[in-house]
Amino acid sequence: MKSIKTLLAGAALSALAGALTVGVSTAPAEAAGKKIAVSWKTFQEERWKTDEKAIKAVVEAAGDTYISADAQGSASKQASDIEGLITQKVDVILVVAYDSDAILPSIKKINDAGLKAIAYDVQFEDPNALYITFDNIGVGRLMAKEIVKAKPAGNYAFIKGDKGDPNATFLFSGITEVLKDGMDSGKIKNVCETFTDGWKPDNAQKEMEQCLTKQKNKVDAVVSENDGMASGVVAALKAQGLAGSVPVSGQDGDLAAINRVALGTQTVSIWKDSRALGKAAAEAAVALADGKAVASIPGVAKFNKGKKGVEMNAILLAPTPITRDTLNLVIDAGWITKDKACAGVKAGSVKSCG
Amino acid sequence: MSAAPEASTAHLVAVESPSKRFFRATEIDTRLLGMVGALILIWVGMDLIGVWKDQGFTLNPLAIWDNHSFLTPRNLWNLLVQTSAIAVMSTGMVLIIVMRHIDLSVGSMLSFIGVITGVAQVYWLSPWLGSESPVIWIVGILVALGAGALLGAFNGFLVAYAGIPSFIVTLGGLIVYSGAAWWVIRGETVAPMDANFELIGGTPSGAWIGGKASWALAAFICLAIVVGIFTNRSARARFKFPQRPIWAEVFLLVVGCAVALGTAWVVNAYPWPAKVAEAYAAEHKIPIPPDGADGLGLAHGFAIPMLIALAVGVIMTFMATRTRFGRYVYAIGGNPEAAELAGVNTRFITLLMFMTMGILTAVSACITSARLDAATNSLGQTNELYVIAATVIGGTSLAGGVGTIYGAMLGALVMQSLQSGMTLLNFDSAVKDVIVGSVLVFAVWVDQIYRRRQA
Repeated sequence: MKSIKTLLAGAALSALAGALTVGVSTAPAEAAGKKIAVSWKTFQEERWKTDEKAIKAVVEAAGDTYISADAQGSASKQASDIEGLITQKVDVILVVAYDSDAILPSIKKINDAGLKAIAYDVQFEDPNALYITFDNIGVGRLMAKEIVKAKPAGNYAFIKGDKGDPNATFLFSGITEVLKDGMDSGKIKNVCETFTDGWKPDNAQKEMEQCLTKQKNKVDAVVSENDGMASGVVAALKAQGLAGSVPVSGQDGDLAAINRVALGTQTVSIWKDSRALGKAAAEAAVALADGKAVASIPGVAKFNKGKKGVEMNAILLAPTPITRDTLNLVIDAGWITKDKACAGVKAGSVKSCG
Repeated sequence: MSAAPEASTAHLVAVESPSKRFFRATEIDTRLLGMVGALILIWVGMDLIGVWKDQGFTLNPLAIWDNHSFLTPRNLWNLLVQTSAIAVMSTGMVLIIVMRHIDLSVGSMLSFIGVITGVAQVYWLSPWLGSESPVIWIVGILVALGAGALLGAFNGFLVAYAGIPSFIVTLGGLIVYSGAAWWVIRGETVAPMDANFELIGGTPSGAWIGGKASWALAAFICLAIVVGIFTNRSARARFKFPQRPIWAEVFLLVVGCAVALGTAWVVNAYPWPAKVAEAYAAEHKIPIPPDGADGLGLAHGFAIPMLIALAVGVIMTFMATRTRFGRYVYAIGGNPEAAELAGVNTRFITLLMFMTMGILTAVSACITSARLDAATNSLGQTNELYVIAATVIGGTSLAGGVGTIYGAMLGALVMQSLQSGMTLLNFDSAVKDVIVGSVLVFAVWVDQIYRRRQA
């Protein structure tokens, strides 16, 4: 009992010492010793932990200090978090905005204090900030490209996301952009197109069943806007013995979807590696902290496709299509274990599964 | 004074119209007939709209039979499978509402239970016992039923013993269980489910009982109706109750048998999908006839989820009408104070009822997750609305005391027919929501008018 107490006291002391060292070591330096902060909207969702790990690794490797604040899903807490970070005299603040409009006064405060703001994953429209995210219209394009590669002509079914989510429409504009030529020439025929309430897999399954009934199974390819709905689509195809012969798309890199890709029942899952996003953002933040110009950061381009059309600098990362041939990307990245990805796959049928 | 009412009843009987006499003799609930009428109207309507759209917005009467898609065995078969999960839950919701309570948590509870049984199968049992083990599906179901009973009983305890209104308890439950489902898998999709478990959903060919078994089941149902009519007659004779006229008995028998045999005929008219049949033929070394895989004569027949819904319907109807528990439920719904004063343990009955609801939700969770071959935390969410809507369309009064199991199941079929039909016709999903919501309100309005006229 006593030993535990001593241990705890020791731990507390060393923690305190650690905190003190951090406090001391923030003396101004040229390349290292800057402070980079992230204001998270919430840590409720597990994915942000992955982002944080990637950001922290880059920041600490550069010899800078990482500071984090969690707004716990509250716009007002996020505002006071940012005030606190400004007071701490950090150099760059990455903001995952809880509310992209309510955050704007806080961003103005960051600018006024002479600090740099980065919009991480969630856009807020401030011309001085740098916006870093995945190219969402590009996700739609990639889906369509992979499906066209597998089935250049025929009857296409489109299972879209929730009608209330602007992303569903964004994706679809990317999809139709790629398919436009084929549709105009009549090679590709749109036989079913429907929104799916709440992006729900069971709704997608019913829609796909209805589509197959209506078309008497003459459906050659299915563009599903995410992996969850793809699971419903594949279940409906399976009941008709069509799973595996009809290409199906998806996105998110869901573990079950990657397994379906390995099994051949799903053609592609567009994967947005949040660690790549974290890494890119942290590198940009380190560069900005060192006083480099925004335009000199690799990958920066002008972006004005936001709600209000404000032009700002942005880095749009290309998502990765995961197909049977590129399965190794997700396995090597540690996103999924080989056992999970290759469960039920016949030996020798997929290269990455062995 | 005492002679007056008698005189007036005699007068009423004298002017009774033939249709009224028919309903009194057969003891058919006219509202049931209304619902069946609505269902036929929706089916035929959907079919004709489909043909009309396909023929370029004209109706060529000669070509109707070539173009229709709603009234096809395949679509009707799909419809029955799609309805089964909601129908199972609606049988419990009727009795909950009859008791003047409500359960808003069934949708989230379904997703939570689905996720639990998914995780149990995929992450615990399968690595431990090997994915081929036949124990997995049994344990998977037991886990689901156990969780359902527990969660339902907890809801019931809070309502009955802690005295919190059921609306609040289950509204809280709606939020809690959806959070809990998220908490278990963090938004991940758990798949694939155990191969045997998947049969519950009706997707793989093993879940279709086939032509012969389906005819046998329909014949058995006919036999059960005959036996039912005879036992009913003898029971009435014993208690000196008035008998139904023979013609009415025959009529009920014929209609009941026609429905059973007709359904069997429809599900048997849906042959196996070509690819599935070819794979089956290859596996069993059966040569494929020259006219294609349909020539193998493999029929779908009833699917396991339909049989589960049927069994649940029969059991719940028995519970509601033939057991003390059921009578207490209706007694409490009719007048809770009177039931309490008459010595009914209303609290315990309430707890049991919510527990039953939980178990039924678990059954639906198994059907839904098996059908999708995956469990996600979005599974079943907002299902509570469809279950309650089905129950209400089925003639259950939100004021309590009134409602039937078969009505609710038919209500579920009506709701699903509308939704599937509109998807089949490529309706815009916003329009779909508008129509489904309107039909719900309209159905209750018609019911109100009917009741006022009866009174």
